[in-house]
Amino acid sequence: MSEDLTRRTVLAVLAGGAAFLVRKANGQIVWQVNAARCINSRLGDTGVEACNLCTTECVVALSAVRAVNEYAKCGRCNICPAYFNISSAVNELGQPSEKLCPRDAIARKPIGKVDPEDPANNFYEYIIDEEKCDGCGKCVLKCKEPLGLGSITLRVRYDRCVNCNECAILRACPQNALVQLPIGQAL
Amino acid sequence: MSRVPQALVLLLLLSQAAAAQAIQYQRPVDTAPQADSIGGGYKVPAVQKPLPRDYWLQVLDVVVLGAAMGVSVWLVLKRRSRKWLTALTIGCLGYFGFYREGCICPIGSLQNVVVALADPKYSIPMVVTATFVLPLVVALYYGRAFCGGVCALGAIQELVVLKPVQVPRRLDRALGLVKYVYLGLAILFAVKPALARDFLICKFDPFVGFFRRTGAPHMLFLGGGLLVLGMFVGRPYCRYLCPYGGLLAWCTRLARRGVTITPDKELDCGLCAEACPYGAIEDMRAVRRDCMYCARCYASCPRERGVAS
Repeated sequence: MSEDLTRRTVLAVLAGGAAFLVRKANGQIVWQVNAARCINSRLGDTGVEACNLCTTECVVALSAVRAVNEYAKCGRCNICPAYFNISSAVNELGQPSEKLCPRDAIARKPIGKVDPEDPANNFYEYIIDEEKCDGCGKCVLKCKEPLGLGSITLRVRYDRCVNCNECAILRACPQNALVQLPIGQAL
Repeated sequence: MSRVPQALVLLLLLSQAAAAQAIQYQRPVDTAPQADSIGGGYKVPAVQKPLPRDYWLQVLDVVVLGAAMGVSVWLVLKRRSRKWLTALTIGCLGYFGFYREGCICPIGSLQNVVVALADPKYSIPMVVTATFVLPLVVALYYGRAFCGGVCALGAIQELVVLKPVQVPRRLDRALGLVKYVYLGLAILFAVKPALARDFLICKFDPFVGFFRRTGAPHMLFLGGGLLVLGMFVGRPYCRYLCPYGGLLAWCTRLARRGVTITPDKELDCGLCAEACPYGAIEDMRAVRRDCMYCARCYASCPRERGVAS
């Protein structure tokens, strides 16, 4: 009987604690990259290697961080510095012969009719394949002033992120660029 | 003018954006073209945003946890079936381990609960609270059913037990205290203020690297080492390190039922004590504190086997 009482006490403590926590609960919290702090989005362009800690540090096999092209900000350039490796040799089409992305995750799709006489005024849509991108940041680094508009940033895929208590990327990030946000406020 | 030099010029101009703007571009390069400036009915696509796991799926995880513990209790206490329990173990290893990649688990949720209790600004989702509380409630009634077939960390060790040796009782006891030290340290690091806070249990989870097929080399090495050790010393992590196991072990003091080896149903031959890889049978009686719900004692019992055949 006394054992029953003790069990009841423990259960009451557990229930009370749980009720307290549930009252405090305010929905789901997710990790996100703060682009204003991310070194790939911030630094000057030339001669700097992209920081790839998001690729190497994430605890899931293919990093939960990937590059996102915010289309409303994208210049839709003919020669996109994030799509092409603009320091590679020029091919017969007048384009750099190499692509920048090591995993070929960016697709280049012409918008509307392409006028070959006026390459600078054709529009292209640059679509990053989330399944291929591992968040190495090379394109993020290149899509910036003066050549790009800074439309590509690194962001967390919420479906892949396992929501570690302490983000492994944050642990390594020199800029403390990962922040925890309620899902409602997240990008 | 051939095409190659033309392109070179273009590149040169691109690298000097201001000049390029003045000479060739008819559209401003410092603002992004929008649907109206592009024309042709073009719509600016929405930005990709894969959402987190649906809420009902998160609730499902808790439901699966509860159901699996229920099945574990039923299989061990009622059916006394080692075979089906092994099936449950494999199933839970697949679901909580390899499918859910080891997150969330009751062991780690311990820290979130502690942080949420200590820090008024920190809040945890309800599913995490439920994940923490459920196995404790089950332990208060039936013992460590969670450890048996449900916990992924336990399951991966359970399946590698090959040729277990009996750890000398006093050494077993002494090592068993380590988990309480670990529990204390984990709580201590979790209640620190936000900046100094550390989640030791997650950081030093030895098996999560296998579930995710990636991880820090030293942790994979440690996990591999524990699995190799686990072939001969049953479930070293559960018995000597798991901080949540410490909590569960305490809860089993109040358990109403548990694995019982009683003379009215079993013989007093002691085969079960030899079969138990976890040293949980003392004087022919199962010790609820240490019993991992593996049902090996029943599988080894001649009377049980006689009943089965």
